[in-house]
Amino acid sequence: MHSISREMEEKYINQHPILSAKDVVIKFNLRGHTLTAIREASLDLYEGESLAIVGESGSGKSVFVKSFMGLLDKNGWVDSGTINYKGYDLGKFKTEKEWLRIRGKEIAMVFQDPMTALNPLKTIGKQILEAVELHQGLRGQEAKNTVLEILRDVGISNPMVRYNQYPHEFSGGMRQRVVIAISIACSPRILICDEPTTALDVTIQAQIIQLLKNLQKKYKLTIIYITHDLGVVAKVADRIGVMYAGDIVEIGTSEEVFYNPQHPYTWALLSSLPQLGIKGEPLYSIKGTPPNLFNEIRGDAFAPRNPRALKIDFELRPPYFSVSPTHRAKTWLLDPRAPKVEPPEAIKKLREQWGSECCGK
Amino acid sequence: MLKYSLKRLGQSVITLFIVITIVFLLMRLMPEEGYFGQGYEKLDPIQRETILKNLGLRDPIYVQLGRFYRDLIRGNLGVSIVYRPRVPVAEILKAKIPYSLYFGLGAITLSLLAGISLGILMARSKGKFWDRIGTGYVVFINAVPAAVYYLFLQLYVTNILKLPILFKENNPVSWILPLVSMSLGSTASYAMWMRRYMVDELNKDYILLARAKGLSNKTIMVRHVFRNAFVPMAQYLPMSILLVIAGSIYIESLYSIPGMGGLLVDAIQRQDNPLVQALVLIYSSLSIAGLFIGDILMAIFDPRIKLENHGGAR
Ligand SMILES: Nc1ncnc2c1ncn2[C@@H]1O[C@H](COP(=O)(O)OP(=O)(O)OP(=O)(O)O)[C@@H](O)[C@H]1O
Ligand code: SF4
Ligand SMILES: [Mg+2]
Repeated sequence: MHSISREMEEKYINQHPILSAKDVVIKFNLRGHTLTAIREASLDLYEGESLAIVGESGSGKSVFVKSFMGLLDKNGWVDSGTINYKGYDLGKFKTEKEWLRIRGKEIAMVFQDPMTALNPLKTIGKQILEAVELHQGLRGQEAKNTVLEILRDVGISNPMVRYNQYPHEFSGGMRQRVVIAISIACSPRILICDEPTTALDVTIQAQIIQLLKNLQKKYKLTIIYITHDLGVVAKVADRIGVMYAGDIVEIGTSEEVFYNPQHPYTWALLSSLPQLGIKGEPLYSIKGTPPNLFNEIRGDAFAPRNPRALKIDFELRPPYFSVSPTHRAKTWLLDPRAPKVEPPEAIKKLREQWGSECCGK
Repeated sequence: MLKYSLKRLGQSVITLFIVITIVFLLMRLMPEEGYFGQGYEKLDPIQRETILKNLGLRDPIYVQLGRFYRDLIRGNLGVSIVYRPRVPVAEILKAKIPYSLYFGLGAITLSLLAGISLGILMARSKGKFWDRIGTGYVVFINAVPAAVYYLFLQLYVTNILKLPILFKENNPVSWILPLVSMSLGSTASYAMWMRRYMVDELNKDYILLARAKGLSNKTIMVRHVFRNAFVPMAQYLPMSILLVIAGSIYIESLYSIPGMGGLLVDAIQRQDNPLVQALVLIYSSLSIAGLFIGDILMAIFDPRIKLENHGGAR
């Protein structure tokens, strides 16, 4: 896999990101108190890639990507930082008019729960048509034909009949296909899928993931997947960003993050995977709870839950350290002055696998 | 859809039948003085008995009931006793119905328009000025007895706006206040429900998807929120009819409108039993018809209802 990884590196090194978020801070006002949900998170997104964002519930995955489309809840705002897209700074966007340039036609989104994402009183044909008319400028029969074609593309058989049906006549998996059809109908460059399969049962999940992969090729999409399911990540992601307490603490190609993780939080996340469990030992689970976002966080946000934390972890926030041109992590462990800290057993095993495969080459 | 409508129609007819029967039985409990008319005191017990017998009121109850149904089907509502002695009730009503109909339909339309507009306004400025004003209005209408603000309108507003105090058929201005009074209650409840449904819809997930696909807030309001919030409003049509009827009974006598409401008050006061019975029948049929229409409208607007009644093709 190293050779693949080198290919990847080249693919990324010579590219400019199509979307680039820098030091983004997002705050919410909750009953008079201010909560910082995203703390100086940075992220580059490259044309045509699939980037997965993983992290436990509440780490800010949804909030972060919603800020790319101006879909934060009313009590939230981008406090500082920049989100560059096509020369615009999305972080500075205020008015609806500005956002209407982005939403749909540049960036579209697929939500978690397809059961509630559709208007129950409009036929699914009409709901897709709305997007086609708005973003592809088509009208009448031409627009309708496009809708039918998209329905076929997302794997809905008998589109002529389905066109006139209402959401309640579709199963969960089929509704998610409709939601995907709506996003595709906007012909966006970037598609954000926020836990697109969480609400579906397992067999359907695989189909939806396969569908998204196919659509990505056909429509040349750049996709951000948000998911808890590392199985999904392994199947689709070119790169993985690991999010913790409102920051991307580690990012790299899938292979790098899976087989050579650097951040103790990534270690913990991977160790808790059942597949990596060591026979006879209880499955690893991360101790403690994420930090309270109402308080200011000092040092590494993960330090209080990290049994291997260094002293400096509690005092100074680590910067990004590069592991490879495509791989970086915010942890003091990567500082040359840091003492050698042994990762957990499961992680060591992963590294060995990686190493041995390479040598076998 | 057709099947559903027929089913609902059948249910309505059965309900109507039951209501008619109950009304009839209740009317038998009314004091019998209501059958003698003016010279009541002068009659001795034997004469009274004869009159009641002639009216068929001494027959067994099931015979009376059977006769009552038969007459109803033939459109025979009996004859008035006190109000206009020996004049058929149907004839009396014929002159009264148009007024009540115009005012009733007018008030329902007015309250629908005003209530829904106010509801939208309130939802859009949720928690702000117009929402407060609207809520104040709704609370006022619900807290203060209707008779109080009807009187207030008649006594003070006529004065301020120089509107006539009593209804005169050929003076269009005199229609305004009774109409407005009749629609106040129903306007308040339309506004309250419309606001609620709009706010509910706005918080639904599909709104987020609609925004994510790039629709403007205005488009979302018109094409999604308003339309969806409007559907459940259909079920308040019967309530609105009831409110208007209740209001009209009082308001018609207040402004001396020669309609059914004023007549009902009159008939009750003067104990004209057949007349009261006929009016109660008309009012209950109207309410049942309202319920029926409300349900059918819901089914037309909401695709989910049709399917449930086709056996739920999920
Ligand atoms: N409207 C809001 N008001 C206040 N706090 C909010 C709001 N929306 C999100 N948050 C907070 O921001 C943090 C990040 O939330 P977010 O929904 O992005 O998490 P997530 O990583 O997507 O979690 P999940 O995996 O459960 O979807 C949470 O602590 C949440 O409580
Ligand atoms: S053998 Fe090594 S270099 Fe080759 S693909 Fe596998 S991991 Fe990469
Ligand atoms: Mg989320």
